[in-house]
Amino acid sequence: MTDNTNHDTELTESTAVETDGGVVTETYLDKEINIFKPATPFMRDHLRVIGISFIAWVIVVFGPTTATLLAPDTMTGITVFGGFPLHFFLTAVFTPLAALLLSVAYAMQRDRLDSKYGISHDTEEAQANGVAADGGEGE
Amino acid sequence: MMEAIATIDPVILQGTALDVGEFKLLPALTVISMLGLFLGVGYLFRVAAVDELWVAGRSIGSIENGMAIGANWMSAASYLGVAGLIATAGYFGLAYVVGWTTGYFILLIFMAAQFRRFGKYTAPDFVGDRFYSDWARGIAAFTTLAIAFVYAVGQASGMGLMGQYIFGVSYEVGVILLMAVTIGYVALSGMLGTTKNMAIQYIILILAFTIGLYATGWAEGWSIAVPYLEAGPQVAEAASIEAQFVEPFANAGYFAWTALAFSLIVGTCGLPHVLVRFYTVDNERTARWSTVWGLFSICLLYWGTATYAAFGGLLYNREVSDGTGFMGMAGSESDAIVLLTAQLAGLPEWLVGLVAAGAVSAALATTAGLFVTASSAAAHDIYTNLYKDNATQREQMIVGRGTIIGIGILVTVVGLNPPALIGELVAMAFAIAGCIFFPVFFLGLWWENTTREGALAGMIAGIIISFGAIINDTVIPMYTGVEDALLPGLATWLPGTSSALVGVPIVFAVIIAVSMVTDNPPEDIKRLVRQCHSPEPMSQMETAEDVATDGGTTEGR
Repeated sequence: MTDNTNHDTELTESTAVETDGGVVTETYLDKEINIFKPATPFMRDHLRVIGISFIAWVIVVFGPTTATLLAPDTMTGITVFGGFPLHFFLTAVFTPLAALLLSVAYAMQRDRLDSKYGISHDTEEAQANGVAADGGEGE
Repeated sequence: MMEAIATIDPVILQGTALDVGEFKLLPALTVISMLGLFLGVGYLFRVAAVDELWVAGRSIGSIENGMAIGANWMSAASYLGVAGLIATAGYFGLAYVVGWTTGYFILLIFMAAQFRRFGKYTAPDFVGDRFYSDWARGIAAFTTLAIAFVYAVGQASGMGLMGQYIFGVSYEVGVILLMAVTIGYVALSGMLGTTKNMAIQYIILILAFTIGLYATGWAEGWSIAVPYLEAGPQVAEAASIEAQFVEPFANAGYFAWTALAFSLIVGTCGLPHVLVRFYTVDNERTARWSTVWGLFSICLLYWGTATYAAFGGLLYNREVSDGTGFMGMAGSESDAIVLLTAQLAGLPEWLVGLVAAGAVSAALATTAGLFVTASSAAAHDIYTNLYKDNATQREQMIVGRGTIIGIGILVTVVGLNPPALIGELVAMAFAIAGCIFFPVFFLGLWWENTTREGALAGMIAGIIISFGAIINDTVIPMYTGVEDALLPGLATWLPGTSSALVGVPIVFAVIIAVSMVTDNPPEDIKRLVRQCHSPEPMSQMETAEDVATDGGTTEGR
């Protein structure tokens, strides 16, 4: 096992060459978890999805209000649906809707990643060991 | 202009336009049969085992869990408070809508599945195990209890208002009556019963809320099919009466708006009673999709809040204040605006009663979720893990139920004279969760070198910031007779309801800095974190610890 007592460990491309994308737990347990340094192909793919959707989220959540701060006349002057000022409508209806749609998009992307790396949640007993029998917590 | 949130005026619960005079038979029967249904379901699914009390045997599917997330989440603050805050604070009130919906996305992409993989029972469990420290577990358990308490006070307040309308009793009697029912039923049924109930509670609350909105739109001729999009003319009319209703930063500035939305978002990701919903599902894919379903359930209600605010504002202006506007309505009126809207639109009493029943359902579901979380923090994390390792299940059940009763009584007492509006009280609970829990959850899951010392320092910093802010601008003015916040300058930048925008970066910095200068976590803790991110599916009752110590080892430990 790598002696990982150093915060500045450089885990870059050279260590991430598993052909299976590092989806097997045995491989995975040796890889450092650091959100800025994805250590396996699977994690890199996953973090790309997370990063893109996070940026989109920041824009829809804080965008309308920031735009209202920067261009108040435009944002309050335009009305939609017969009377909603634009900033009011965007914040009250559009932002929650956009967050919902982004969530659906993320969950679908993540399902797609699962199938790309051959992960299935259908059967729980894939690794068929006895760990689960006692609920994993023997009180 | 920041004074509006910098100082929260104590709520004066009198002089309301709400029809509180008499006992109303049909609404009362609606609420009583609803409560009877909940107690019946709770009894039917009553539990004896700890697994079932706290995580429902990890057996819940994604749509059911999504509905439970919705019911658990949508408290009296969502159902009653948000529309009232929009009606009285205008665009600023929309920060509640944004914060309380979009936070689920952050939870989804960064935390839901990882939490499910971690397994275990409670949020303090995560903190205690991940940071290999009983002190950390104890602080987390304390925080969980504090959040449940502050949050539940808001619910008690909503219950009092509804009891007032339905039973014609005083506010105080309403609080006591409905809190007694809540305490009884949670103590009886635990998590499995409450999950089953939450799905039912969600259906009741969303139907009641939506029917009230549609019926008001029809009765007034304002909307037919999609009030959320048809209410434009009413918003414009409300704006012509009260310009502040749509004026962007009239009641509070950009900083205050952003700080509030941010606090509610990170609070969502740090709330123990929300996170425990991810422990109740069968696998991580279900955890992800139930978050999506949960957000959908939540949006259904939040889309209607601005519409209610516009409708309610116009009706209030016409029926109550004789054309002198609506933003000056009393706290008890704005907290009951959803019900008031239905009443002022002249809807039949049974229909208004249904809306009130929905509010009771919302408050009850959330309080139940909070109490279960609080009881598990006390029984599992404090009693069993810190005090008596070999506690029997029977002892744990006794401690858990005792906690529910104890915290219930305390909430009832404070709820008799609440220090702020419902929505504001709940926002404070979110600020606490955001400052204390969000950073340790996030870094704990995403940076394996986060150490015990870092987490402890961070949580203590979070406690000082969030509680300090609340004490400064709410507790001191409310209970000592000091007129204003103790330190008004501090209250401007660090309001009790929104301390997380300033607090979270500070806490992050503290955790990272302390983690850098202390020894790395032990190897088995790192393996635990890695296991949370491994894509390989885990079986239903497995926790990350099982896999990291037994399952995934190739070279032994």
